Amino acid sequence: ARGGAKGGNKVIIEPHRHEGIFIARGKEDLLVTKNLVPGESVYGEKRISVDGPEGTKVEYRVWNPFRSKLAAAVLGGVDHIHIAPGKKVLYLGAASGTSVSHVADIVGPQGAVYAVEFSHRSGRDLINMSKKRTNVVPIIEDARQPQKYRMLVPMVDVIFADVAQPDQARIITLNAHHFLRNGGHIVISIKASCIDSTVDAATVFAREVKKLQEERVKPQEQLTLEPYERDHAVVVGQYNRNN
Amino acid sequence: MATHVLFESASGYALFERVQSEEIGAKLEQVQKNVLDLAKFGQTVKLKSFSPFKSAADALENANDVSEGVVNDSLKAFLELNLPKPGKKSKVQLGVSEKNLAGAIKSECGFECTTDEVVQELVRGIRLWSDKLLAQLKEGDLEKAQLGLGHSYSRAKVKFNVNRSDNMII
Repeated sequence: ARGGAKGGNKVIIEPHRHEGIFIARGKEDLLVTKNLVPGESVYGEKRISVDGPEGTKVEYRVWNPFRSKLAAAVLGGVDHIHIAPGKKVLYLGAASGTSVSHVADIVGPQGAVYAVEFSHRSGRDLINMSKKRTNVVPIIEDARQPQKYRMLVPMVDVIFADVAQPDQARIITLNAHHFLRNGGHIVISIKASCIDSTVDAATVFAREVKKLQEERVKPQEQLTLEPYERDHAVVVGQYNRNN
Repeated sequence: MATHVLFESASGYALFERVQSEEIGAKLEQVQKNVLDLAKFGQTVKLKSFSPFKSAADALENANDVSEGVVNDSLKAFLELNLPKPGKKSKVQLGVSEKNLAGAIKSECGFECTTDEVVQELVRGIRLWSDKLLAQLKEGDLEKAQLGLGHSYSRAKVKFNVNRSDNMII
């Protein structure tokens, strides 16, 4: 028997409050993005095809909040993700590119994702995913040294970071100083235990936010990723170069 | 104070000349403000020369050298052709994004270099307006070049053939 939403055939797609993201309403509600490469899954995720205008089909891919912190933040009710159609996104900690593929779906053909990952093993998957999605630029390089990839990245609207390193605030703000436009936004995922496992999560989050503030980032939102992740938070802030 | 700025793009090297003027862009805050306005920023820096990479392979070679802070022959030739000769009279100071490359340019070609905050701000400005400032390029050219170079740069990094996933050694 087929599980999930596929069997019912009565799935209705509605736009999510965040532009570029959709909700598939069927037997259960699922978060989905419009597949840039119809007919293919990236990492075995389910696809849903619905009738589009004039007999065409439009395909969506299910976005699992247990696998993507950005999806968890969206379902957790974050006010703004700043990632939307047409935006340029610098994505730090791209890993194999599973979440990156959804970000690429959201920004669409007019947008672009500059996906940085240091691990060669994950990097191979990232490169293969990027071959199909031509709005993704794979960058196998150390995010601690943004100078190394300065020829590959333009000014961007948003930096999304999921690097899980003790010095991640420094890594993110260093990249912002190089590539984030004035007034642009950062959206970062903080895993408390990766930064300091000797104090409680709330203390770690507060410290990280303070580090960002010292580097010209004005925090705007913070939410924990319960029930999808434990002791994780997503922080959204605005980069203001001139004060 | 930097009189010129080197900008390494995915399409080629660009050299900008800083327009010297008392009012425009001496102070850091003034530069920061000007950067946001193309009309003002266009009066702060002027494109002196642009040297496109000859091929994808040429671009990759240059990207690797720039990334490692190495001055290769094409960068050296580009700078020597377009910058006034270093000497007692000329007060040329080249703004460079990164300090290793700045050091290498100084020792290889003899040009004074700086990587100070004003240079970083100017580079941000050039990056922001690169489509408009690099007049030879059509809109979207730079993005295409970044896409191609990103793939070749990254493929070279992972070294193995990315089409084969069966050569993992654990």
